[in-house]
Amino acid sequence: MSRVVAVPPSPLRAFWLKWRFHINVLLLLIPLGFMPKYFADAALFRGDTGLGERVAGQVQVGPWSLTLAEFRNEGPSPDPAGPMKFFNAALCDNCAEQVKATYLRIGKPRSLRAAGVIFFGTPYRMGAALPVPERTPADAELWVTMEGWDGTMHQGSIPLSQASPATIAWLNKQGVKP
Amino acid sequence: MSKKSRSKLWFLVHSWLALPIWFFVLIVCVTGTLAVVSQEIVWLANPDIRASKPSDDAEPLSFDQVIAAIGRDEPKAIVRSIIRPDESHFALTVGLSYPDGRTVEAYANPYTGAIQGISPSFNFQQFTRALHGWWLVPFTHGYSWGWYLVSLLGLPLLASLVTGLVVYKRFWKGFLRPTLRIRHGARIFWGDFHRLCGIWSIWFIAVISITGTWFLIQAILGDNQISISSEPIVPVIARDKVPLSAPGVPAPMIALDEAIKIATQRIPGLDATFAFLPLNAYSHLQIGGRGWYPLMFQTAQLNPYNGEIAVSHLLSDRSPLEFVTESMRPLHTGDFGGLWIKLIWAFFGLVLSMMVLSGLLIWTKRTALATLNALKREAKGQRAPIAKRAESSEVHS
Repeated sequence: MSRVVAVPPSPLRAFWLKWRFHINVLLLLIPLGFMPKYFADAALFRGDTGLGERVAGQVQVGPWSLTLAEFRNEGPSPDPAGPMKFFNAALCDNCAEQVKATYLRIGKPRSLRAAGVIFFGTPYRMGAALPVPERTPADAELWVTMEGWDGTMHQGSIPLSQASPATIAWLNKQGVKP
Repeated sequence: MSKKSRSKLWFLVHSWLALPIWFFVLIVCVTGTLAVVSQEIVWLANPDIRASKPSDDAEPLSFDQVIAAIGRDEPKAIVRSIIRPDESHFALTVGLSYPDGRTVEAYANPYTGAIQGISPSFNFQQFTRALHGWWLVPFTHGYSWGWYLVSLLGLPLLASLVTGLVVYKRFWKGFLRPTLRIRHGARIFWGDFHRLCGIWSIWFIAVISITGTWFLIQAILGDNQISISSEPIVPVIARDKVPLSAPGVPAPMIALDEAIKIATQRIPGLDATFAFLPLNAYSHLQIGGRGWYPLMFQTAQLNPYNGEIAVSHLLSDRSPLEFVTESMRPLHTGDFGGLWIKLIWAFFGLVLSMMVLSGLLIWTKRTALATLNALKREAKGQRAPIAKRAESSEVHS
């Protein structure tokens, strides 16, 4: 045992012995590394950087229209209820008062009752979580249904490839099932 | 194992629990302390969130009066929510949606309804909470791994408390004869300091470690889609319960103050402190606040067109298990009884941070030696293998 103490440790070993319990200071690099992402997300949620990460464009819906944006420029996220894609939207300036509710659906809805998922939020900024089945064809259309306060209904569509190229890439990666 | 060597072992376990991660533990303690009083820090730094009285006899406005005042000042902005903070020196927090697409928190004067400012893009409160709670690691699918990293610390903290009390012989005597020797060198001082702080924060360390461990359990349950909540899932309002109206004329809704009156009648003892306005034409209006039990909120969801309560979630709806689990978060953050409780939490948070530091100082002065001695004793028993290892390390050098 006396030999163990007598052996002069190598500089590397001495360094290790001295600093091994301070290596955890490096854990601070984790929040430092994620800080830009944290502030970018905070700005995205507040709307400082616009409706979403990527604005898809205008969708004309009868006499009304909306600006559609992908909340994140990426494919659907996994969810217990199936893959979900988040879209944000803003109503046109002069239709905010006119529109009672706005819905989103892949494929043309047959009626108002099957119009799809409803948007939550204000006319200036609202969001919807759209279920995207894995078998969705790549040439699918995204349909927007708007309902007026008197019950009138208008519809419009945008190709899914234009609304979300990332979703098309995701579908292709899944291998579109016939 | 003899009694002496067993307590030695406990002592070593106690020493090693936080040591390899002392800096991480320290930063989590310090950021937690800051998060407790973050609202107060913002209050000191930013006059916008102060509830200044225009005159001594000024009365706080009702929620409807606040909305009317905002409508006058900023006719284009849409009010999404109003929250009256626990402490009366804070302005109302109003969720506002602006035509440019921003949804921000604005601070409204509770006496005049004037918007005093909007929350800056750097939100100190949210930032300290995110740093403390999940180490800024983003939530992508389920809970962030930063959340697991931080909440896992509840376990060594609890173990530190238990082993600390085991190695501190007759610790209860420390309450009667507090010892803090200042003139006997640094090691004695930090040892006394660590023990003194430790016994007076037993309750706090227990609360923080147990509630911290609950956050770990909560994440595990959440990520496995296991729910213990009795809170009903509220469907949207049925189509026939939303009146039709003339084109371009939104169906009239009941006044917010009326909704608060209905909710207060339905929930006896409700102190309505927040209102979330409907999120679309088929969504409910939510009114809520505390009741007799300050650690939990009660809510009612109303049809905004006729005032009918669709769902309510009262204290009496909670299972005994939920009383325990729902109390965990407020017990951890100390935000359930006003400024004084926050200050007590912040003080003991600071003490806990100092315990990490003093523990480290004691270790550098004593435990290094104790460990070396323990190794020596072990080596006496197994001289040959250790000597062999020493030789091999010689070769490397």
